[in-house]
Amino acid sequence: MRSSLRYALLLVFTVSQTALFAQFLGYPTAGVPRTPDGKPNLAAPAPRSADGKPDLSGMWGWVNFGKPCGAECNDTQISVEFINIAATLKGPLPYQPWAAELVKKRRVQQGLDPNVHCMPRGAPRIWTDDYYKRIFHVPGRVLILTERNMQYRQIFTDGRALPKDPNPTWNGNSTAHWEGDTLVVETTGFRDDLWLDASGNPLTEEGKMTERIRRPNYGTLEIEITINDPKAYTAPWTVTLKEPLILDSELLDYYCLENERDSKHMREQAPIGIPQ
Amino acid sequence: MRRVDMIKRQSRINVLVLASLAIFGATALGFGQWVRYPTSGVPRKADGTPNLTAPPPRLPDGKPDFSGIWHTAVINQCVQATGAFCGNTEIGGSPLALNIGRDLSGGLPYQPWAAELVKRRFSKDDPHVRCLPDNPPRTWVMPHLTKAVHTPRLLVLLYEVNAMYRQIFIDGRPQPDDPTPSWNGYSTAVWDRDTLVIRTTGFRDDLWIDMSGAPMTNTATMTERLRRPNLGTLEVEITVDDPKVYTRPWTVSMKQELILDTELIDEICLENEKSWQHMQTPQSAK
Repeated sequence: MRSSLRYALLLVFTVSQTALFAQFLGYPTAGVPRTPDGKPNLAAPAPRSADGKPDLSGMWGWVNFGKPCGAECNDTQISVEFINIAATLKGPLPYQPWAAELVKKRRVQQGLDPNVHCMPRGAPRIWTDDYYKRIFHVPGRVLILTERNMQYRQIFTDGRALPKDPNPTWNGNSTAHWEGDTLVVETTGFRDDLWLDASGNPLTEEGKMTERIRRPNYGTLEIEITINDPKAYTAPWTVTLKEPLILDSELLDYYCLENERDSKHMREQAPIGIPQ
Repeated sequence: MRRVDMIKRQSRINVLVLASLAIFGATALGFGQWVRYPTSGVPRKADGTPNLTAPPPRLPDGKPDFSGIWHTAVINQCVQATGAFCGNTEIGGSPLALNIGRDLSGGLPYQPWAAELVKRRFSKDDPHVRCLPDNPPRTWVMPHLTKAVHTPRLLVLLYEVNAMYRQIFIDGRPQPDDPTPSWNGYSTAVWDRDTLVIRTTGFRDDLWIDMSGAPMTNTATMTERLRRPNLGTLEVEITVDDPKVYTRPWTVSMKQELILDTELIDEICLENEKSWQHMQTPQSAK
C-alpha cells in the first residue's frame, strides 16, 4: 500500500507544474507587528475586524510532512494530511463496510482521484493542499482564494440559511457564525464522490463538515474539522490542523489543466458565432 | 423587477446549459436556492422596487464600492446566422465577446502578422473551449456572472467559469519588472477621483481576447477604467496597448448591470476532461 501511495503522489506531481517566480512574491506584507529587533512578531495578538471579531485575512500555508520524500515525489513538501487526512488520529476512520471497501479500491487506483484529473479538490482538501491560500475576510463573507486552478470558496457570514436541496458541488455550501473568537463554519451539499485525501477517504452527499476556525495569534490559524457523514462513517470524527501565516509573498496562478488532452477531439469548424 | 430578474436568470441558465451541452460538452447546471437569496442593503423606491439609480455605496475610505454581481448590460441577441451558438434562445454575454473590436471604425488595428494569425484561429483552438481560464478583458463580456468583492486595498473578481478569481491590488505596490507570464496578468490600481484605474501587464504571449481570436501578448499593457455612476451600473473602459499585435492602442467601453438576489453557480468546465484514460494503474495494483 505504501508503494502505491507513493506512486499516486508521483502521478499528482507529474500533473503539477513547478511554480515560477514573479516579483509580487517579494512584496512586503503591510501592517505586520514587529519585535524590537525588527522581525515579524508572529506571537502578537490576531488582528481584529471592525466588528471586533478576529480577522482571519492572510496568506496561509501548511505544516510540512517533516522530511523530504525522496526521488519518488521530488522535494516538494506536502502535509501528512494531504496523503491521509486522518494521519494524526489513532486507529482507522470509522468506515461503514462499503466505504472501507471503496477506500481499498481507491488506494490502488489513484488514477480515479479527481485531483489527478485537475478537478477541484473540494473544500476540506483546500486545507491540506500543497498550495497557498489567501483568506479574504470581509463583512458578510469569507473568501478563500487558492493557487490551484485559481479557484475560490465562499463562506457566507450574512445570516443566510443553508439550502435545503442544494445542487451538489465540490465545495458544498458554507455558512458561518461566531462562537466567541471561533468562526464556526457549517457546510453541506457536497458531491457524492469526493476524496478527502490521496488515500481516497470518502465524503458523500450526506456529509456535513463543521470547521471551527481560530486565529490564536498573529501567525497561526487553527482549523478543527469535523466530518459527520453517516453514509460513509459510523461516527463523526475530528481532525485539527495548524497552519502558518505566509508573509511577503503572493498567490501564483497555477492552472493544472494546461496539460489537458481534449483539444484533439474538437472538430475543425468556423469560429463560434462568426458568420462567414 | 425581481420577477423579471428571475426570468432573466432562468433564461441565462438555460442558455448556459444549452451552450455548454452544444458547444463545450460540460455537465448541465442545476439549481441551489441561493440563486434566489435576496441581496441585502439595496435601496428601494417608494413602491419597493430596487432603486438602481441611487448613489453607489462607498468604501470606508470614501471611494466607490464596486462590490456586487455584474453582467454585461448589452446582451448579445441571437440571430439566425449564429444559431449554432445560442440555440435560438437569447444568450447572455456581450456582442463584444464575439468581436471585441466591433464598435471600432475599421475594426481592430492589427499588425499584418496578427491579421494573418486571426484568420488561422478557429474555435477548436480557443483556450476557452478547452476549459482554460478566461483571461481579462474577455471576462467582462462572457455570458457568465462576475462578482466583485471590494475593500480599500484589494478588489477581487470572482468568476463562475471554473470558479476562478482575479486579484487587483490597490495597495501601492509597483508592477513587477519581469513577471512570470500569466492568464490574468498582474493588476495594480490607483484612484483618479471616483474612477479606479487598473493597469495590467505580464500576460501570456498567446491569449485570445474574443471568440474571433483577437490576440493579446506579453508586450501588452491593459488599462481598465472602472466607474460606478450609480448603484446599478458599472462602467468599464478598456484600453489595450500591445504594439506587437496592434499598430496603435485602442479603447472599448461597455456597461455592466447589477444583478440582484442571486449567487454565482460554480461551473467546472473540466468535468468533461478526457485525460484520465491515459493515466496508468500502478503495477502494485495488479
